[in-house]
Amino acid sequence: MVELKNVSVTYESTGVEALSDVSLKVEDGEFAFVIGRSGSGKSTLIKLLMKELDANKGEVYVNGYDLTKLKKRKIPEFRRTIGVVFQDYRLIDNLTVYENIAFVLRVIDAPRKQIRKRVPYVMSLVGLQDKADCYPSELSGGEQQRCALARALVNDPALLIADEPTGNVDPELAYELVELLQGINACGTTILMVTHAHEMVRHFGGRIINISEGEVVFDEVIGGAEVEAQ
Amino acid sequence: MKLSSFRYLVRQGFDNVWKNRVMAFASFCVLLVSLLLVGISILFYININVIIGGIENRNEAIIYLNYETPQSRIDEIGETLRTIDNVSSVKLYTGDEALDDYKNKMDDFTDVFESLENEEDILPDAYLIHVADISKMSKTLKAVQEIPDVLNVRSPDAFIELLTEARRVVTIVASAIIIALLIVSMVIISNTTRASVFSRRREISIMQSVGATKNFIRFPFFIEGMINGFMAGVFATLLTWFTYNSLVKLIGRFEVLNVIGLGNVIPYRKIGPIVTLSYVLLGSLIGAIGSVLSTRVHLKYRAANM
Repeated sequence: MVELKNVSVTYESTGVEALSDVSLKVEDGEFAFVIGRSGSGKSTLIKLLMKELDANKGEVYVNGYDLTKLKKRKIPEFRRTIGVVFQDYRLIDNLTVYENIAFVLRVIDAPRKQIRKRVPYVMSLVGLQDKADCYPSELSGGEQQRCALARALVNDPALLIADEPTGNVDPELAYELVELLQGINACGTTILMVTHAHEMVRHFGGRIINISEGEVVFDEVIGGAEVEAQ
Repeated sequence: MKLSSFRYLVRQGFDNVWKNRVMAFASFCVLLVSLLLVGISILFYININVIIGGIENRNEAIIYLNYETPQSRIDEIGETLRTIDNVSSVKLYTGDEALDDYKNKMDDFTDVFESLENEEDILPDAYLIHVADISKMSKTLKAVQEIPDVLNVRSPDAFIELLTEARRVVTIVASAIIIALLIVSMVIISNTTRASVFSRRREISIMQSVGATKNFIRFPFFIEGMINGFMAGVFATLLTWFTYNSLVKLIGRFEVLNVIGLGNVIPYRKIGPIVTLSYVLLGSLIGAIGSVLSTRVHLKYRAANM
Protein backbone atom coordinates (compact mmCIF):
# COMPACT_ATOMS: atom_id res chain seq x y z
CA MET A 1 0.00 0.00 0.00
CA VAL A 2 1.12 3.55 -0.79
CA GLU A 3 -0.21 6.52 1.11
CA LEU A 4 0.80 10.18 1.00
CA LYS A 5 -0.73 12.61 3.49
CA ASN A 6 -0.37 16.34 2.72
CA VAL A 7 3.12 15.87 1.31
CA SER A 8 5.19 18.81 0.10
CA VAL A 9 8.70 18.62 -1.38
CA THR A 10 10.83 21.67 -2.09
CA TYR A 11 14.31 21.36 -3.62
CA GLU A 12 16.64 23.38 -1.43
CA SER A 13 19.11 24.14 -4.20
CA THR A 14 16.58 25.72 -6.56
CA GLY A 15 13.76 26.58 -4.19
CA VAL A 16 11.29 24.86 -6.56
CA GLU A 17 8.29 23.24 -4.90
CA ALA A 18 8.05 19.93 -6.77
CA LEU A 19 5.10 18.52 -4.81
CA SER A 20 2.57 20.67 -3.02
CA ASP A 21 0.28 19.28 -0.35
CA VAL A 22 -0.26 15.99 -2.18
CA SER A 23 -2.48 13.34 -0.65
CA LEU A 24 -3.21 10.03 -2.33
CA LYS A 25 -3.69 6.40 -1.47
CA VAL A 26 -3.03 3.31 -3.61
CA GLU A 27 -4.43 0.14 -2.08
CA ASP A 28 -2.75 -3.28 -2.17
CA GLY A 29 -3.28 -5.01 -5.51
CA GLU A 30 -4.21 -1.83 -7.40
CA PHE A 31 -2.84 -0.76 -10.80
CA ALA A 32 -2.54 3.00 -11.23
CA PHE A 33 -1.14 5.14 -14.01
CA VAL A 34 0.58 8.36 -12.95
CA ILE A 35 0.58 10.88 -15.77
CA GLY A 36 1.70 14.47 -16.15
CA ARG A 37 3.94 16.75 -18.19
CA SER A 38 7.71 16.98 -17.73
CA GLY A 39 8.51 18.83 -14.53
CA SER A 40 5.06 18.19 -13.09
CA GLY A 41 6.48 16.28 -10.09
CA LYS A 42 6.19 12.64 -11.27
CA SER A 43 9.89 11.88 -10.81
CA THR A 44 9.89 13.56 -7.42
CA LEU A 45 7.00 11.29 -6.42
CA ILE A 46 9.03 8.21 -7.40
CA LYS A 47 12.12 9.40 -5.54
CA LEU A 48 9.94 9.99 -2.54
CA LEU A 49 8.48 6.48 -2.72
CA MET A 50 11.97 4.98 -3.05
CA LYS A 51 13.20 7.04 -0.09
CA GLU A 52 15.74 8.75 -2.28
CA LEU A 53 14.57 12.09 -0.99
CA ASP A 54 12.59 13.23 2.00
CA ALA A 55 9.37 15.22 2.19
CA ASN A 56 9.63 18.65 3.76
CA LYS A 57 6.09 18.29 5.04
CA GLY A 58 3.55 15.50 5.41
CA GLU A 59 3.71 11.73 5.85
CA VAL A 60 4.65 8.97 3.39
CA TYR A 61 3.79 5.29 3.95
CA VAL A 62 4.94 2.51 1.62
CA ASN A 63 4.46 -1.21 2.27
CA GLY A 64 3.94 -0.55 5.96
CA TYR A 65 7.08 1.61 6.35
CA ASP A 66 6.70 5.18 7.59
CA LEU A 67 9.27 6.78 5.27
CA THR A 68 9.30 10.08 7.14
CA LYS A 69 10.67 8.29 10.21
CA LEU A 70 12.70 5.55 8.48
CA LYS A 71 16.29 5.38 9.69
CA LYS A 72 19.10 5.39 7.11
CA ARG A 73 20.28 1.92 8.01
CA LYS A 74 16.78 0.55 7.40
CA ILE A 75 16.57 1.98 3.84
CA PRO A 76 18.09 -1.10 2.09
CA GLU A 77 15.64 -3.36 3.95
CA PHE A 78 12.72 -1.16 2.83
CA ARG A 79 13.89 -1.03 -0.80
CA ARG A 80 13.84 -4.81 -0.95
CA THR A 81 10.05 -4.66 -0.61
CA ILE A 82 9.66 -2.67 -3.83
CA GLY A 83 10.63 -3.36 -7.41
CA VAL A 84 11.52 -0.48 -9.70
CA VAL A 85 11.72 -0.35 -13.50
CA PHE A 86 13.41 2.73 -14.94
CA GLN A 87 13.10 4.31 -18.38
CA ASP A 88 16.90 3.95 -18.88
CA TYR A 89 16.74 0.33 -17.59
CA ARG A 90 19.66 0.83 -15.17
CA LEU A 91 21.19 -2.60 -15.72
CA ILE A 92 24.73 -3.26 -14.52
CA ASP A 93 26.76 -3.29 -17.73
CA ASN A 94 29.38 -5.84 -16.70
CA LEU A 95 26.89 -8.43 -15.44
CA THR A 96 25.00 -10.82 -17.68
CA VAL A 97 21.20 -10.88 -17.85
CA TYR A 98 21.16 -13.79 -15.38
CA GLU A 99 23.57 -12.03 -13.00
CA ASN A 100 21.70 -8.72 -13.17
CA ILE A 101 18.51 -10.47 -12.10
CA ALA A 102 20.21 -12.73 -9.55
CA PHE A 103 21.93 -9.70 -8.00
CA VAL A 104 18.71 -8.67 -6.24
CA LEU A 105 18.48 -12.10 -4.58
CA ARG A 106 22.15 -12.07 -3.63
CA VAL A 107 21.59 -8.73 -1.91
CA ILE A 108 19.04 -10.35 0.40
CA ASP A 109 21.31 -13.33 1.10
CA ALA A 110 18.95 -15.73 -0.70
CA PRO A 111 20.10 -19.37 -0.78
CA ARG A 112 21.78 -20.49 -4.03
CA LYS A 113 19.06 -23.05 -4.54
CA GLN A 114 16.42 -20.33 -4.55
CA ILE A 115 18.47 -18.18 -6.94
CA ARG A 116 18.88 -21.11 -9.36
CA LYS A 117 15.15 -21.72 -9.30
CA ARG A 118 13.71 -18.21 -9.21
CA VAL A 119 15.91 -16.44 -11.80
CA PRO A 120 15.15 -18.77 -14.75
CA TYR A 121 11.46 -18.57 -13.79
CA VAL A 122 11.26 -14.75 -14.04
CA MET A 123 13.40 -14.81 -17.19
CA SER A 124 10.87 -17.11 -18.81
CA LEU A 125 8.07 -14.88 -17.53
CA VAL A 126 9.44 -11.93 -19.54
CA GLY A 127 10.62 -14.09 -22.45
CA LEU A 128 14.37 -13.78 -21.88
CA GLN A 129 15.15 -17.44 -21.17
CA ASP A 130 17.50 -17.60 -24.19
CA LYS A 131 19.43 -14.47 -23.24
CA ALA A 132 20.75 -15.55 -19.83
CA ASP A 133 24.42 -15.18 -20.78
CA CYS A 134 24.07 -11.97 -22.78
CA TYR A 135 25.37 -8.66 -21.49
CA PRO A 136 22.99 -5.63 -21.52
CA SER A 137 24.90 -4.11 -24.46
CA GLU A 138 24.01 -7.20 -26.53
CA LEU A 139 20.25 -6.74 -26.00
CA SER A 140 17.69 -4.60 -27.84
CA GLY A 141 15.91 -1.79 -25.99
CA GLY A 142 12.82 -3.94 -25.47
CA GLU A 143 14.91 -6.85 -24.15
CA GLN A 144 16.78 -4.58 -21.78
CA GLN A 145 13.48 -3.25 -20.47
CA ARG A 146 12.19 -6.80 -19.96
CA CYS A 147 15.40 -7.67 -18.16
CA ALA A 148 14.86 -4.65 -15.89
CA LEU A 149 11.30 -5.84 -15.30
CA ALA A 150 12.51 -9.35 -14.44
CA ARG A 151 14.99 -7.86 -11.98
CA ALA A 152 12.20 -5.82 -10.37
CA LEU A 153 10.02 -8.92 -10.07
CA VAL A 154 12.51 -11.55 -8.96
CA ASN A 155 12.18 -10.60 -5.32
CA ASP A 156 8.39 -10.88 -5.51
CA PRO A 157 7.87 -7.30 -4.34
CA ALA A 158 4.60 -6.05 -2.88
CA LEU A 159 4.86 -2.87 -4.95
CA LEU A 160 6.23 -2.40 -8.45
CA ILE A 161 7.06 1.15 -9.55
CA ALA A 162 7.57 1.58 -13.29
CA ASP A 163 9.07 4.94 -14.27
CA GLU A 164 8.32 5.58 -17.96
CA PRO A 165 9.01 1.91 -18.78
CA THR A 166 7.70 2.34 -22.33
CA GLY A 167 9.65 5.54 -23.02
CA ASN A 168 12.46 3.89 -24.98
CA VAL A 169 10.63 1.04 -26.74
CA ASP A 170 8.47 1.01 -29.87
CA PRO A 171 4.64 1.28 -29.47
CA GLU A 172 3.96 -2.41 -30.09
CA LEU A 173 6.41 -3.47 -27.40
CA ALA A 174 5.06 -0.76 -25.11
CA TYR A 175 1.57 -2.26 -25.24
CA GLU A 176 3.02 -5.74 -24.67
CA LEU A 177 4.90 -4.46 -21.66
CA VAL A 178 1.78 -2.95 -20.10
CA GLU A 179 -0.10 -6.19 -20.73
CA LEU A 180 2.73 -8.00 -18.95
CA LEU A 181 2.42 -5.58 -16.03
CA GLN A 182 -1.33 -6.18 -15.94
CA GLY A 183 -0.66 -9.91 -15.75
CA ILE A 184 1.72 -9.35 -12.82
CA ASN A 185 -0.89 -7.12 -11.18
CA ALA A 186 -3.43 -9.90 -11.53
CA CYS A 187 -1.16 -12.03 -9.34
CA GLY A 188 -1.49 -9.47 -6.52
CA THR A 189 1.40 -7.04 -7.01
CA THR A 190 0.50 -3.37 -6.61
CA ILE A 191 1.66 -1.42 -9.65
CA LEU A 192 2.33 2.27 -10.05
CA MET A 193 3.24 3.15 -13.61
CA VAL A 194 4.46 6.63 -14.51
CA THR A 195 4.03 7.48 -18.18
CA HIS A 196 3.79 10.21 -20.80
CA ALA A 197 1.85 8.02 -23.19
CA HIS A 198 -1.69 9.37 -22.72
CA GLU A 199 -3.05 7.43 -25.66
CA MET A 200 -1.87 4.17 -24.19
CA VAL A 201 -3.38 5.07 -20.83
CA ARG A 202 -6.73 5.77 -22.52
CA HIS A 203 -6.43 2.42 -24.30
CA PHE A 204 -5.94 0.39 -21.12
CA GLY A 205 -7.99 2.54 -18.77
CA GLY A 206 -8.02 2.02 -14.99
CA ARG A 207 -7.00 4.39 -12.24
CA ILE A 208 -5.36 7.55 -13.57
CA ILE A 209 -3.54 9.99 -11.29
CA ASN A 210 -2.69 13.21 -13.11
CA ILE A 211 -0.07 15.44 -11.53
CA SER A 212 0.34 19.02 -12.68
CA GLU A 213 2.66 21.63 -11.14
CA GLY A 214 3.16 19.45 -8.08
CA GLU A 215 -0.51 18.88 -7.38
CA VAL A 216 -2.87 15.96 -8.03
CA VAL A 217 -5.38 17.50 -10.44
CA PHE A 218 -7.16 14.28 -11.46
CA ASP A 219 -7.52 10.94 -9.70
CA GLU A 220 -10.26 8.72 -11.10
CA VAL A 221 -10.90 5.36 -12.68
CA ILE A 222 -11.68 5.50 -16.39
CA GLY A 223 -12.82 2.79 -18.76
CA GLY A 224 -10.32 1.55 -21.35
CA ALA A 225 -10.80 0.89 -25.07
CA GLU A 226 -12.20 -2.55 -24.40
CA VAL A 227 -14.77 -1.21 -21.92
CA GLU A 228 -15.80 1.53 -24.36
CA ALA A 229 -16.13 -1.00 -27.17
CA GLN A 230 -18.61 -2.97 -25.08
CA MET B 1 26.37 -12.49 5.79
CA LYS B 2 26.15 -16.07 4.61
CA LEU B 3 29.25 -17.95 3.44
CA SER B 4 27.78 -18.21 -0.07
CA SER B 5 27.31 -14.41 -0.22
CA PHE B 6 30.83 -13.89 1.11
CA ARG B 7 32.19 -16.18 -1.61
CA TYR B 8 30.11 -14.37 -4.23
CA LEU B 9 31.42 -10.96 -3.16
CA VAL B 10 35.04 -12.14 -3.09
CA ARG B 11 34.59 -13.58 -6.58
CA GLN B 12 33.02 -10.30 -7.69
CA GLY B 13 36.11 -8.48 -6.40
CA PHE B 14 38.38 -10.72 -8.48
CA ASP B 15 36.10 -10.47 -11.54
CA ASN B 16 35.99 -6.67 -11.23
CA VAL B 17 39.78 -6.42 -11.50
CA TRP B 18 39.55 -7.95 -14.96
CA LYS B 19 36.30 -6.24 -15.98
CA ASN B 20 37.67 -2.83 -15.01
CA ARG B 21 41.19 -3.64 -16.10
CA VAL B 22 42.04 -0.19 -17.46
CA MET B 23 41.34 1.57 -14.16
CA ALA B 24 42.74 -1.39 -12.24
CA PHE B 25 45.99 -1.06 -14.23
CA ALA B 26 46.08 2.69 -13.50
CA SER B 27 45.65 2.04 -9.75
CA PHE B 28 48.27 -0.71 -9.91
CA CYS B 29 50.81 1.59 -11.64
CA VAL B 30 50.24 4.46 -9.22
CA LEU B 31 50.57 2.13 -6.24
CA LEU B 32 53.68 0.53 -7.71
CA VAL B 33 55.40 3.87 -8.35
CA SER B 34 54.43 5.17 -4.90
CA LEU B 35 55.69 2.03 -3.15
CA LEU B 36 58.94 2.11 -5.12
CA LEU B 37 59.56 5.81 -4.45
CA VAL B 38 59.00 5.48 -0.73
CA GLY B 39 60.68 2.05 -0.45
CA ILE B 40 63.82 3.01 -2.37
CA SER B 41 64.11 6.30 -0.47
CA ILE B 42 63.97 4.44 2.84
CA LEU B 43 66.51 1.83 1.68
CA PHE B 44 68.80 4.60 0.44
CA TYR B 45 68.52 6.40 3.78
CA ILE B 46 69.17 3.23 5.80
CA ASN B 47 72.24 2.43 3.73
CA ILE B 48 73.66 5.94 3.96
CA ASN B 49 73.18 5.72 7.71
CA VAL B 50 74.94 2.35 7.88
CA ILE B 51 77.84 3.60 5.76
CA ILE B 52 78.28 6.72 7.85
CA GLY B 53 77.87 4.64 11.01
CA GLY B 54 80.56 2.25 9.78
CA ILE B 55 83.01 5.05 9.22
CA GLU B 56 82.10 6.69 12.51
CA ASN B 57 82.84 3.46 14.35
CA ARG B 58 86.48 4.17 13.68
CA ASN B 59 86.14 6.47 16.62
CA GLU B 60 89.61 5.82 17.89
CA ALA B 61 92.53 8.02 18.68
CA ILE B 62 96.19 7.18 19.31
CA ILE B 63 97.84 8.85 22.29
CA TYR B 64 101.64 8.77 21.83
CA LEU B 65 103.67 9.00 25.01
CA ASN B 66 107.10 10.59 25.44
CA TYR B 67 110.08 8.31 24.72
CA GLU B 68 111.56 6.63 27.78
CA THR B 69 108.45 7.11 29.93
CA PRO B 70 108.83 4.62 32.82
CA GLN B 71 106.35 1.76 33.05
CA SER B 72 104.86 3.06 36.32
CA ARG B 73 104.10 6.39 34.65
CA ILE B 74 102.64 4.64 31.61
CA ASP B 75 100.25 2.77 33.92
CA GLU B 76 99.35 6.02 35.67
CA ILE B 77 98.54 7.67 32.35
CA GLY B 78 96.38 4.66 31.50
CA GLU B 79 94.42 5.15 34.72
CA THR B 80 94.07 8.89 34.07
CA LEU B 81 92.76 8.20 30.56
CA ARG B 82 90.11 5.87 31.97
CA THR B 83 88.82 8.61 34.27
CA ILE B 84 88.28 11.10 31.41
CA ASP B 85 84.66 11.59 30.41
CA ASN B 86 83.60 10.06 27.07
CA VAL B 87 86.59 7.64 26.90
CA SER B 88 84.99 4.24 26.45
CA SER B 89 88.06 2.00 26.13
CA VAL B 90 91.76 2.28 26.73
CA LYS B 91 94.37 -0.12 25.38
CA LEU B 92 98.13 0.01 25.61
CA TYR B 93 99.94 -0.22 22.30
CA THR B 94 103.66 -0.49 23.00
CA GLY B 95 106.40 0.67 20.65
CA ASP B 96 107.52 -2.97 20.27
CA GLU B 97 103.99 -4.05 19.23
CA ALA B 98 103.87 -1.21 16.74
CA LEU B 99 107.23 -2.28 15.30
CA ASP B 100 106.05 -5.90 14.96
CA ASP B 101 102.93 -4.70 13.14
CA TYR B 102 105.07 -2.70 10.73
CA LYS B 103 107.31 -5.72 10.15
CA ASN B 104 104.30 -7.87 9.28
CA LYS B 105 102.83 -5.27 6.97
CA MET B 106 106.09 -4.48 5.19
CA ASP B 107 107.58 -7.87 4.21
CA ASP B 108 109.82 -6.34 1.55
CA PHE B 109 111.76 -4.34 4.13
CA THR B 110 112.90 -7.26 6.35
CA ASP B 111 116.55 -6.16 6.09
CA VAL B 112 115.81 -2.71 7.38
CA PHE B 113 113.89 -4.07 10.35
CA GLU B 114 116.67 -6.60 11.12
CA SER B 115 119.24 -3.79 11.29
CA LEU B 116 117.07 -2.03 13.85
CA GLU B 117 116.74 -5.03 16.14
CA ASN B 118 119.32 -3.92 18.68
CA GLU B 119 117.98 -0.39 18.89
CA GLU B 120 115.67 0.54 21.74
CA ASP B 121 112.65 2.86 21.69
CA ILE B 122 112.43 3.18 17.94
CA LEU B 123 108.74 3.84 18.24
CA PRO B 124 107.10 5.47 21.26
CA ASP B 125 104.61 3.62 23.47
CA ALA B 126 101.01 4.67 22.93
CA TYR B 127 97.48 4.21 24.11
CA LEU B 128 94.61 3.41 21.75
CA ILE B 129 91.42 4.97 23.04
CA HIS B 130 87.81 4.86 21.83
CA VAL B 131 85.25 7.53 22.58
CA ALA B 132 81.58 6.95 23.35
CA ASP B 133 80.20 10.11 21.75
CA ILE B 134 81.91 10.92 18.49
CA SER B 135 80.62 14.51 18.48
CA LYS B 136 82.61 15.23 21.67
CA MET B 137 85.87 13.84 20.21
CA SER B 138 87.65 17.24 20.01
CA LYS B 139 86.83 18.16 23.62
CA THR B 140 87.97 14.75 24.88
CA LEU B 141 91.28 14.92 22.99
CA LYS B 142 91.92 18.40 24.38
CA ALA B 143 91.69 16.96 27.90
CA VAL B 144 94.01 14.09 26.91
CA GLN B 145 96.64 16.46 25.57
CA GLU B 146 96.85 18.21 28.93
CA ILE B 147 98.12 15.03 30.63
CA PRO B 148 101.88 15.30 31.30
CA ASP B 149 104.14 12.95 29.28
CA VAL B 150 101.72 12.84 26.34
CA LEU B 151 103.81 13.40 23.21
CA ASN B 152 100.98 13.95 20.78
CA VAL B 153 97.53 12.77 19.76
CA ARG B 154 96.41 11.46 16.37
CA SER B 155 92.74 11.22 15.38
CA PRO B 156 90.58 11.76 12.32
CA ASP B 157 88.52 14.33 14.25
CA ALA B 158 87.97 16.77 11.37
CA PHE B 159 86.70 13.95 9.12
CA ILE B 160 84.50 12.65 11.92
CA GLU B 161 82.98 16.07 12.50
CA LEU B 162 82.22 16.26 8.79
CA LEU B 163 80.54 12.83 8.88
CA THR B 164 78.51 13.69 11.95
CA GLU B 165 77.24 16.80 10.22
CA ALA B 166 76.61 14.82 7.01
CA ARG B 167 74.54 12.27 8.94
CA ARG B 168 72.46 15.04 10.51
CA VAL B 169 71.80 16.66 7.12
CA VAL B 170 71.04 13.30 5.46
CA THR B 171 68.55 12.45 8.23
CA ILE B 172 66.72 15.76 7.86
CA VAL B 173 66.71 15.75 4.05
CA ALA B 174 65.76 12.06 3.77
CA SER B 175 62.96 12.41 6.34
CA ALA B 176 61.57 15.43 4.48
CA ILE B 177 61.75 13.62 1.12
CA ILE B 178 60.12 10.46 2.50
CA ILE B 179 57.31 12.43 4.18
CA ALA B 180 56.75 14.47 0.99
CA LEU B 181 56.70 11.28 -1.10
CA LEU B 182 54.24 9.64 1.27
CA ILE B 183 51.90 12.64 1.06
CA VAL B 184 52.18 12.88 -2.74
CA SER B 185 51.63 9.12 -3.06
CA MET B 186 48.55 9.21 -0.85
CA VAL B 187 47.08 12.09 -2.89
CA ILE B 188 47.75 10.33 -6.22
CA ILE B 189 46.46 6.98 -4.94
CA SER B 190 43.35 8.60 -3.52
CA ASN B 191 42.65 10.41 -6.81
CA THR B 192 43.20 7.31 -8.92
CA THR B 193 40.96 5.09 -6.80
CA ARG B 194 38.38 7.89 -6.70
CA ALA B 195 38.46 8.10 -10.51
CA SER B 196 38.15 4.32 -10.69
CA VAL B 197 35.13 4.32 -8.40
CA PHE B 198 33.67 7.45 -10.04
CA SER B 199 33.57 5.63 -13.37
CA ARG B 200 31.34 3.07 -11.66
CA ARG B 201 29.04 5.42 -9.74
CA ARG B 202 26.08 4.35 -11.91
CA GLU B 203 26.68 0.73 -10.92
CA ILE B 204 26.77 1.78 -7.26
CA SER B 205 23.50 3.72 -7.58
CA ILE B 206 21.80 0.72 -9.21
CA MET B 207 22.97 -1.54 -6.40
CA GLN B 208 21.54 0.88 -3.86
CA SER B 209 18.21 1.13 -5.67
CA VAL B 210 17.68 -2.63 -5.40
CA GLY B 211 18.34 -2.58 -1.66
CA ALA B 212 22.03 -3.46 -1.37
CA THR B 213 23.57 -2.39 1.93
CA LYS B 214 26.64 -0.16 1.95
CA ASN B 215 28.83 -3.03 3.12
CA PHE B 216 27.53 -5.30 0.36
CA ILE B 217 28.49 -2.64 -2.21
CA ARG B 218 31.84 -1.84 -0.61
CA PHE B 219 33.12 -5.37 -0.12
CA PRO B 220 33.98 -6.19 -3.77
CA PHE B 221 35.69 -2.77 -4.03
CA PHE B 222 37.68 -3.65 -0.91
CA ILE B 223 38.79 -6.97 -2.45
CA GLU B 224 39.53 -5.30 -5.78
CA GLY B 225 41.68 -2.61 -4.13
CA MET B 226 43.48 -5.24 -2.07
CA ILE B 227 44.31 -7.32 -5.16
CA ASN B 228 45.66 -4.25 -6.99
CA GLY B 229 47.71 -3.30 -3.94
CA PHE B 230 49.00 -6.85 -3.46
CA MET B 231 50.09 -7.07 -7.10
CA ALA B 232 51.79 -3.67 -6.84
CA GLY B 233 53.58 -4.90 -3.69
CA VAL B 234 54.81 -8.05 -5.45
CA PHE B 235 56.07 -6.11 -8.47
CA ALA B 236 57.67 -3.47 -6.25
CA THR B 237 59.52 -6.29 -4.42
CA LEU B 238 60.80 -7.77 -7.68
CA LEU B 239 61.90 -4.40 -9.07
CA THR B 240 63.58 -3.41 -5.81
CA TRP B 241 65.35 -6.76 -5.56
CA PHE B 242 66.66 -6.44 -9.12
CA THR B 243 67.70 -2.76 -8.82
CA TYR B 244 69.23 -3.19 -5.37
CA ASN B 245 71.31 -6.21 -6.31
CA SER B 246 72.49 -4.53 -9.51
CA LEU B 247 73.61 -1.49 -7.51
CA VAL B 248 75.35 -3.65 -4.90
CA LYS B 249 77.23 -5.46 -7.69
CA LEU B 250 78.19 -2.14 -9.26
CA ILE B 251 79.48 -0.76 -5.96
CA GLY B 252 81.41 -4.01 -5.38
CA ARG B 253 83.41 -3.38 -8.56
CA PHE B 254 84.93 -0.21 -7.14
CA GLU B 255 87.56 -1.40 -4.62
CA VAL B 256 88.27 2.16 -3.57
CA LEU B 257 84.74 2.54 -2.17
CA ASN B 258 85.32 -0.45 0.10
CA VAL B 259 88.67 0.87 1.31
CA ILE B 260 87.21 4.20 2.43
CA GLY B 261 84.17 2.46 3.87
CA LEU B 262 81.59 3.57 1.27
CA GLY B 263 81.03 0.04 0.01
CA ASN B 264 79.51 -1.01 3.30
CA VAL B 265 75.93 -1.52 1.96
CA ILE B 266 73.47 -3.97 3.56
CA PRO B 267 73.16 -7.20 1.51
CA TYR B 268 69.63 -7.74 0.10
CA ARG B 269 69.20 -11.15 1.74
CA LYS B 270 69.29 -9.39 5.13
CA ILE B 271 66.55 -6.88 4.30
CA GLY B 272 64.66 -8.90 1.65
CA PRO B 273 61.99 -10.47 3.91
CA ILE B 274 61.10 -7.22 5.67
CA VAL B 275 61.09 -5.31 2.34
CA THR B 276 58.76 -7.92 0.76
CA LEU B 277 56.46 -7.99 3.78
CA SER B 278 56.30 -4.19 4.00
CA TYR B 279 55.61 -3.75 0.28
CA VAL B 280 52.91 -6.43 0.12
CA LEU B 281 51.18 -5.46 3.37
CA LEU B 282 51.39 -1.73 2.72
CA GLY B 283 50.28 -2.13 -0.91
CA SER B 284 47.29 -4.31 0.01
CA LEU B 285 46.30 -2.04 2.87
CA ILE B 286 46.56 1.21 0.90
CA GLY B 287 44.75 -0.35 -2.08
CA ALA B 288 41.90 -1.71 0.03
CA ILE B 289 41.45 1.36 2.23
CA GLY B 290 41.75 3.72 -0.76
CA SER B 291 38.97 1.88 -2.60
CA VAL B 292 36.66 1.73 0.39
CA LEU B 293 37.15 5.42 1.24
CA SER B 294 36.42 6.36 -2.38
CA THR B 295 33.21 4.30 -2.43
CA ARG B 296 32.07 6.08 0.73
CA VAL B 297 32.11 9.37 -1.16
CA HIS B 298 29.82 7.94 -3.85
CA LEU B 299 27.50 6.24 -1.40
CA LYS B 300 26.97 9.67 0.18
CA TYR B 301 26.71 11.30 -3.25
CA ARG B 302 23.94 8.91 -4.19
CA ALA B 303 21.94 9.64 -1.05
CA ALA B 304 22.22 13.38 -1.59
CA ASN B 305 21.62 13.58 -5.31
CA MET B 306 19.23 10.90 -6.40
